[in-house]
Parts: sequence; structure tokens; C-alpha cells
Amino acid sequence: MSNYYEFYCPVKTIAGQAALEHIPYELTSMASKRPMIITDKGVRGAGLLDPIISACEDGKVDIVAIYDEVPPDSSTDVVRDIAKLYRKEKADAIIAVGGGSAIDTAKAVNILVSEGGDDISEYAGAGVLKHPLKPFFVIPTTAGTGSEVTSVAVISDPRKSVKLAFSSSFLLPNAAIIDPRMTLTLPPHITAATGMDALTHATEAFTCIAKNPLSDAYASAAVKKINENLLKVMDNPKDSEGRLELAQAATMAGIAFSNSMVGLVHALGHSLGALCHIPHGVCMSLFLPYVLEYNIEQIREPLGELLLHLTSPEVYAVTPRAQRAEESIATIRKMRDELHRRCDLPRTLEETGKVSYEQLDKIAEMTVDDGSIMFNPREVSREEARAVLEKAWS
Amino acid sequence: MVSQARRIYVQLMMQVVGRAMQAISEVDDEVRKETAVLPDGFLFEMTIMPDGPALVMGKMPGGRLRYMGEKGPAAPDLSIQFKHLTHAFLVLSFQEKTSQSFANDRMLVDGDLGYSLRMVRVLNRLESFILPKLIAERAVKEYPHDLHLPKKLIHGARIYFQVATNLIDTVRAS
Repeated sequence: MSNYYEFYCPVKTIAGQAALEHIPYELTSMASKRPMIITDKGVRGAGLLDPIISACEDGKVDIVAIYDEVPPDSSTDVVRDIAKLYRKEKADAIIAVGGGSAIDTAKAVNILVSEGGDDISEYAGAGVLKHPLKPFFVIPTTAGTGSEVTSVAVISDPRKSVKLAFSSSFLLPNAAIIDPRMTLTLPPHITAATGMDALTHATEAFTCIAKNPLSDAYASAAVKKINENLLKVMDNPKDSEGRLELAQAATMAGIAFSNSMVGLVHALGHSLGALCHIPHGVCMSLFLPYVLEYNIEQIREPLGELLLHLTSPEVYAVTPRAQRAEESIATIRKMRDELHRRCDLPRTLEETGKVSYEQLDKIAEMTVDDGSIMFNPREVSREEARAVLEKAWS
Repeated sequence: MVSQARRIYVQLMMQVVGRAMQAISEVDDEVRKETAVLPDGFLFEMTIMPDGPALVMGKMPGGRLRYMGEKGPAAPDLSIQFKHLTHAFLVLSFQEKTSQSFANDRMLVDGDLGYSLRMVRVLNRLESFILPKLIAERAVKEYPHDLHLPKKLIHGARIYFQVATNLIDTVRAS
């Protein structure tokens, strides 16, 4: 671990039963009376907006506009349209309800409505924003991305065929509201993939080179919650307490990785996702054990420590220290097998049915140009990235 | 006094590293593979906030790099900025690896992140060639396992020779 670190998370976390009912108070405490909701069709169709709207109505707060057409891969045009609606309705705060795409879109909309203009690409990059933005609240509906506590957003620019990245601490919401009602109806496949996404965030945060004592605390606690609740919730999807634990774990893993970054699993996953359009959580689950095996000699100590949180004090105690890292990987493999048995979550590239063997070279090529690779404990060459892909093939 | 000495050291190292990057791009195929994808005329800057010292490299046809001095002919396409002279000193005196400096938030990247990774790999490869293995291992995340002594000595000597020639030419011209 380095002898220097930085850690920052000013997001107020409002978590637990009846958390949504705190929204009116939070809005009025920031002098906001006209919030706008940004979400997607799936969230609205599942009825997830109903308790939010009802909580606001009871608290005498009017939702002045709802935009529910955020696509899975949001674009600069979508951001511009939503900003136009925000201005037309004279909204004064944003509530994002959804997964990574809705939250990233809302972050970008907040830039436009706070800073002005119609072209979000003008604000791309790091450190461009110099002032706090409008009041912003996030209600995650998946337990995985951790976007509610990250200071980045990614939006596609279809005209230039590029993805624009925005990075600023001002993108962080004022509060993240974590209510078990929001993830209660998540289908098994998405519960599994997003749970593994959170596990990967925590595991990479705990083993990559920017790890620090504070991110370690969040990461290890997140791993423990995922270990104790993911399979339980898969078997009993209506387990409200388990759902809340998973949602909190995702937020904690998000706090961990946004302060210690991630490594090769993400570099491979970003490349695979971009090329083969495989959901991020699936990519994470797929690569996690293979990358841990590749990194093992550099991460033996922290990965061995994680065994305590991945299993139980009893298993940790009876496992010889020298074998704990291998046992951690074996435990993650077992978890993937269980998830595959329950919902066919792919464990190999071949099992996805969406990747051709010929694409491996291109994925390896893209991987070594991905920013996450900088924080991986090992220096990764194209050939080594290709070798990991080969192992993950079948 | 210490601060002044650090500034002089960093200034000197920037000049050496700039010339050495030019030299390694002429002698090493692996470096040219990294830089080949950069557009010709691409300007890379490594600088220290708030006002230098700095080095600027220009991408030439065929993947070669050219040291342009402290300032380039135009605004750089990619800039890696140390937040403080002390942070640059830690890296340039091989007390902190470049990747660890990134991880410690001591550097900012303004430009394409993928290209910045390529330039960091060029710097790592350069350090592996020109430094004794024991020191290079402190400077890079992983010492290249395929870099054997004969190649290291031959390439290292060519890089040092070109840096020295370039420095002498610069002194004569000034």
C-alpha cells in the first residue's frame, strides 16, 4: 500500500426502510420546491416511481416534470432534450431514478442546467467544472454500479462516435437514497450481474495499487454483505432486508472504488462491453477470477485477507495463510457457479454466446489502452491481456 | 536551498528524458509500436504546475518522437501535469513509480487517456533501458522479463550516445 492517499465522499447516504419518505425534507432543506425526475421506461413501467411521487405528494412537494426515456446508452441529444424540459418547467432540482445510464444522464443534465448552454461536450474532461451544481438526488434501482457515489459520467456523442467522459467532484449528488423497495422487483439475472459488479468493485478496490485504509474499510464491508446476501436474495427475491444489504453493499463498493480505482477486470470489461455489447456486470463476473489468478503474486496478502469476508471466520481460521488467496478465488468461482445454476449468468466468454474467438485480439488491444489498467498491480502487455482472455474463453 | 536544488535537478532530468525519449523511439521497435497510432504532429507535454519545467515531444512519421524543448509550436494534444515540483522529483529521482504517482493523485491528464497510457509505457521502457536493473525496478511497475543484458547494454549505449550528441549540439547552437 502506498504511503499517501486521498479519500473524498461528501454524499449524504439515506438508507433503509421508508428512506424515500425523507426526500421532501431533503429537497426543502436545500430550498428546492420544483424537482424533476429523470428515469427510464423500465423503471416507470415497474411502478418504481409511484412510492417516490406519493412520498413527495405527502410532503407537499410537486414533481414538476418526469423524463422517462433515458436509453441504456445515453447520448448528448438526450441530455440536451432533458435540459430543455428542465428549463421549460422551471425545475430547481434533479432526482435520478435508475441504474448507471439514468444516473450518468442526470449528472450531465445537471451540468447543462447549472452551467448553461446546450452542448454537453463543452464540459467533457476532468476539472472543467468550477462551481457547485443544482440540488441533485439519486435513487438507485440496481444494486451494482455505485454511480450514486461516483464523480464521473459517461455519455455517447453519436455524431463523433465517441464516448465523452465527465469528471468532477461537483457531479456527486447531494444525497443517495437507498430504499429496499427500489430493488425488490429486480429480475434474477440482473440481481446476479449487478451483485457481481459490486463484488468486483470491492475486490479490485481492495487489491489494486491506489488502495488505502478508508477504501479498504468500505470494500471489505461490501464484500461481506454481498457474500451474506447475494445467494440468499437469489433464492428469495422478496427478501427486503437482503435487498437493502445488497444495495448498501453496492454503494459502499462504489465509495471504495471511486477512491482507489479499479484494475484489469474493468479494463477487460470495458473493452468487451464496448465491442460485444455485453452488460457491464456480466463482464465483471466473467473476468474476475481469471484476473485475480493473473495478479495473484502481487496481491496475495490483500486477496488472502478478503477470504474472511468472502466466507466466514471459521473457514478463514482453518485455511493456512499461504492458501488464502487461492481459496478466495475458489470461493468467487463457487459463487459464480451458483449464480449460473440459478440464472445462467455466463462464466466464460463462450457461455455469453455473443463473443467470437476472433474478437479476442481486438479486445486485448483495446484493454491496454483503457485507463483502469494503470491501477492494476501488474503491468499488462497485449500478450498477457490476450492470455487472460484465452483462459476466460471456455 | 533544497527546493532550488530539486528544481535544477528536475529541469535537467526533463531535458535528459526528452532527448532520451527521442533516442529510444529511434532504436526500439516496441516504442515505435506504441507511438505509431498517434497522429503525425501530435504534441505530448509533461509539465509541472503552475509553470514548469516542462518537456514537449512531437510525433514524427514512422512512430519516431522528437524532443521540442520546453515549449511546443502549438498547444499540446496531451498534457501530463504534476501537481507540484516535489511530486515530479519523486518520479524523476526514481523514488516513486509513474503508475503509483497517478494512483496517488499527484498527476493530472489533460487529453486522451489511452494515448497517455502509451506515453507512460514509453517512459517505462526508457527507464528499463537506461537505468541499472536495481534502480529501474523502483521506477517501473514491472521490469520487462524479456529485456536481457546484451540488448539492454546495446540499446542503452545508443540512447546515451544520442542524448549526449544532442546535448552537445544544443550547447554549440546556443
